[in-house]
Amino acid sequence: MNELSASSRITYRAVMVRPGVARRIRGLSDRTLAWLFITPTIVLLLAINIFPLLWTIYLSFTNYRANRANAPTIWLGADWYQSILTDPDIWAAMQVTAHFVIWTVVIETVLGFGLAYLIDKKFRGHGMWTTIILLPMMLSPAVVGNFWTFLYQPQIGLFNYVVAFFTGRAASSFQMLGDVTLSPWAIVIVDAWMWTPYVMLICLAGLRSIPDYIYEAAEVDRASKWRQFWSITLPMALPFIMLAVLFRGIENFKMFDMVNLLTGGGPGSTTEVASITLKRAAFESWRTGYSSAFAIILFVTVFGLANIYVKALNKVKSR
Amino acid sequence: MTSATTAHSVVEPSATTRRVAGSLVVLYAIITMIPLVWIMLTAFKSPDDAISYPPKVMFKPSLEGFCNLFTTRSRQTPEFIRSLGPPQGLCDSIARDRNMVVAGPSNYVPRFVNSLIIAFGSTLLAVALGTLSAYGFSRFRVPLKDDLLFFILSTRMMPPIAVAIPIYLMYRTIGLSDTRLGMILLYTSVNVSLAVWLLKGFIDEIPREYEEAAMIDGYTRFQAFVKVVLPQATTGIAATAIFCLIFAWNEYAFAVLLTSGNAQTAPPFIPIIIGEGGQDWPAVAAGTTLFLVPIVVFTVLLRKYLLRGITFGAVRK
Amino acid sequence: MSLDASPTIARRDLADRVLRRGPLEALATTIIAAGVVMLMQPFSLTLYSWSFATTLFGTVMFTIVSKVRE
Repeated sequence: MNELSASSRITYRAVMVRPGVARRIRGLSDRTLAWLFITPTIVLLLAINIFPLLWTIYLSFTNYRANRANAPTIWLGADWYQSILTDPDIWAAMQVTAHFVIWTVVIETVLGFGLAYLIDKKFRGHGMWTTIILLPMMLSPAVVGNFWTFLYQPQIGLFNYVVAFFTGRAASSFQMLGDVTLSPWAIVIVDAWMWTPYVMLICLAGLRSIPDYIYEAAEVDRASKWRQFWSITLPMALPFIMLAVLFRGIENFKMFDMVNLLTGGGPGSTTEVASITLKRAAFESWRTGYSSAFAIILFVTVFGLANIYVKALNKVKSR
Repeated sequence: MTSATTAHSVVEPSATTRRVAGSLVVLYAIITMIPLVWIMLTAFKSPDDAISYPPKVMFKPSLEGFCNLFTTRSRQTPEFIRSLGPPQGLCDSIARDRNMVVAGPSNYVPRFVNSLIIAFGSTLLAVALGTLSAYGFSRFRVPLKDDLLFFILSTRMMPPIAVAIPIYLMYRTIGLSDTRLGMILLYTSVNVSLAVWLLKGFIDEIPREYEEAAMIDGYTRFQAFVKVVLPQATTGIAATAIFCLIFAWNEYAFAVLLTSGNAQTAPPFIPIIIGEGGQDWPAVAAGTTLFLVPIVVFTVLLRKYLLRGITFGAVRK
Repeated sequence: MSLDASPTIARRDLADRVLRRGPLEALATTIIAAGVVMLMQPFSLTLYSWSFATTLFGTVMFTIVSKVRE
C-alpha cells in the first residue's frame, strides 16, 4: 500500500495498488524516482561506513601498522582475536566498562524515572523547568568532561568544596580524578549529570502514553495508589524505560569523549573503558591490525545490541 | 496514544502533590544548573579569583579570560613595556598589568570558524540527502526497505573509534586527512542516518492526498514533492537540521583523532588552552561559554522536538 | 515487535509471525544479551573468551530470523 494511485484522490489509504497508473503521469516513474532519492544516501554510507568497515575486517587478520605502511603485510588469521579474547588486561578494561555502564544506567534510570514521574504531575511551570533540566544532555561531552575536571580540582574545585561543606572533610583531602577508588565514580557522576535528562524525557513520554481511563477504572476498583503504580504505571512505562536503558547502555559501552577528557583512562588504568584502550592501541601504539580486531569485537557487540534496540523502538512505536 | 480525559478526572493530582512534585523538580533543576552557571561565572573571573579557595561566588568581573582566549601574549621586562606607547585596546592594558604584551591572535577564532563551517556544511548535506531518502522510504515501495533503514541506523551506532581507524587510513591515502571536506563528509555520513529516520517520521505525517491532488492537477511526482511536500515538511526539516548541527558542533572523537591543525574544530581545542603554569581556567571557561551558548539557544528552540530527535523519530509526543 | 518500520506490514499476519518468528527472535535476543554479559562479567576468563563468538552467533541468527516472514 505504499504506492499510490493518482486516480483516486479521496479514498485515502484504501486504494489498491495499480502499478500502471503512476507511470502514465508525465515525468519520472516512481521506481526511478525512489532509487534516485535513496541512492545518494546509500552510496555515501557505503563509502564512509561500509567500505572502511570491510577494510577493518581485512586489517584485523593482518599485522599491518599504520606508522609502518611500507612494511610487508602478513596474513595472521584469527591470531589477534585469540590474543585479545584471552588477554586479562583487555578483560579488565571490559570490567571497567561494565562498572561504568551498569552504574550510570542504574542511576540515570532511577533518577530519570523519578523526575519524569514528578514532572508528570503537571505542576505550574513544568514546561520551563523541564527545558532547563534537559540542557546538560545537549552539550558537547568533550567540553563537559573538560569543565568537570575544573570542578573536580582538589584545591579549587567547586565539587570538592561542596562535598567538604556537607561532610566536614577537608576539600583537599580527596582527589576525585587522581584516586583509584574515586575516579571510576567521578566519571559515573558526570555521565549521570549529563544523561539523566535523556532517560527522564523518554520516561515522561511513556507516562504520558498511559490513558487516564485505566487509572479511572483502578480508582473505581479502589486500588491503592501504591498498587496503581506497580500494576499500571510501571508496566505500561516499561517499554519506554527499556528503550532508554538500551540506548544509554550502547552509548556508554562505546563511551570515549567525556572519559578521555576527564581522566584519560587514569589513574593507572582504573577508568580505562574499552574505547580508550582501543584508542591507545590504534593511535598511540599504532598496532593497527590488533586494534582493528578489537574494533570489530566492539562493533559486533554494539551491532547486536542495536538489533535489540530497534526491536524495542518498534515496540514503542506501535503504541 | 488515545486519552479519554473527563472534565473533572479522579486521576488529577491534588494541589499538595503538585506543589511537592514541583519543588523537588525545581530543586533538581537548580542543582543541575550549578556546574554550568559556575563555568559561565568563571569565564568572567580573573585568574586569581578563579583558583581561590574557598571558591568565590562574589568577585570583581574581569574580561581577562576572554582576552586570554583570543590572544597570545609574551612576557616582557617592565622597562620594555614602559618604553612602548599607550596600550592598544582593553586586552593589551590587561596584559600589561601582568608584565606582558599582546603578541597576536590565538587559534580560537580559526577553530571556531572550522566548527561553524564543518557543522553547517555537514548539516546541509545530511539534511538534503536525508530529505530525499526519507521521502523515498516514506512514499515508495522500496525492496528491502526495513533492512536498508536498519542499515542506515546501525551506521550511527558504530563506536567512533572503531570507525576512525579505517577512516584515518582512507583519508591518508586519498589526501583528505585534516581537511574540512573530509570532516564534512564524515559528519554527513553520521548525521544522514538521523536525518533519514527523523524526516521519515515527519513526512509520514503529511497526508498523501496533498500530493495526489497536486498530481491530478498536472504536477509530476517530483514537482509535487518540491511544491507540496517540502513546504509542509519545513518545520520537520528545520528541527532535523538543528539536531544535525548540534551533533556536528559537539563531536569530539573524530575531530581529535583525525584533525590536527587546518581542520581542527573547537571541542579538541578548548581543553588544550594552556596559560602560564597549568591550565588557564578563565580562558578555558570563556571558550566553553562561547561554545555552549548556541547550544543553549538551540535547545530552547527545539524543546518540542527533542523527544523525537533522541528516539530517531519513533516517539512523537 | 519486528524490524518493520511500517506498522501496516507489521500488523499483517501477526498471529502467524508470533508463533514462528517471535520465539526465535526472542532466543536470538537472549543469545546476544548473554554474549554481552559474558564479555563484561568479572568471574570467568573462559566465558569472556567465548563472548565474541556468542554475540556474533546471536547477531547472525537475529538477522536471519528477522527475514522469516511466515
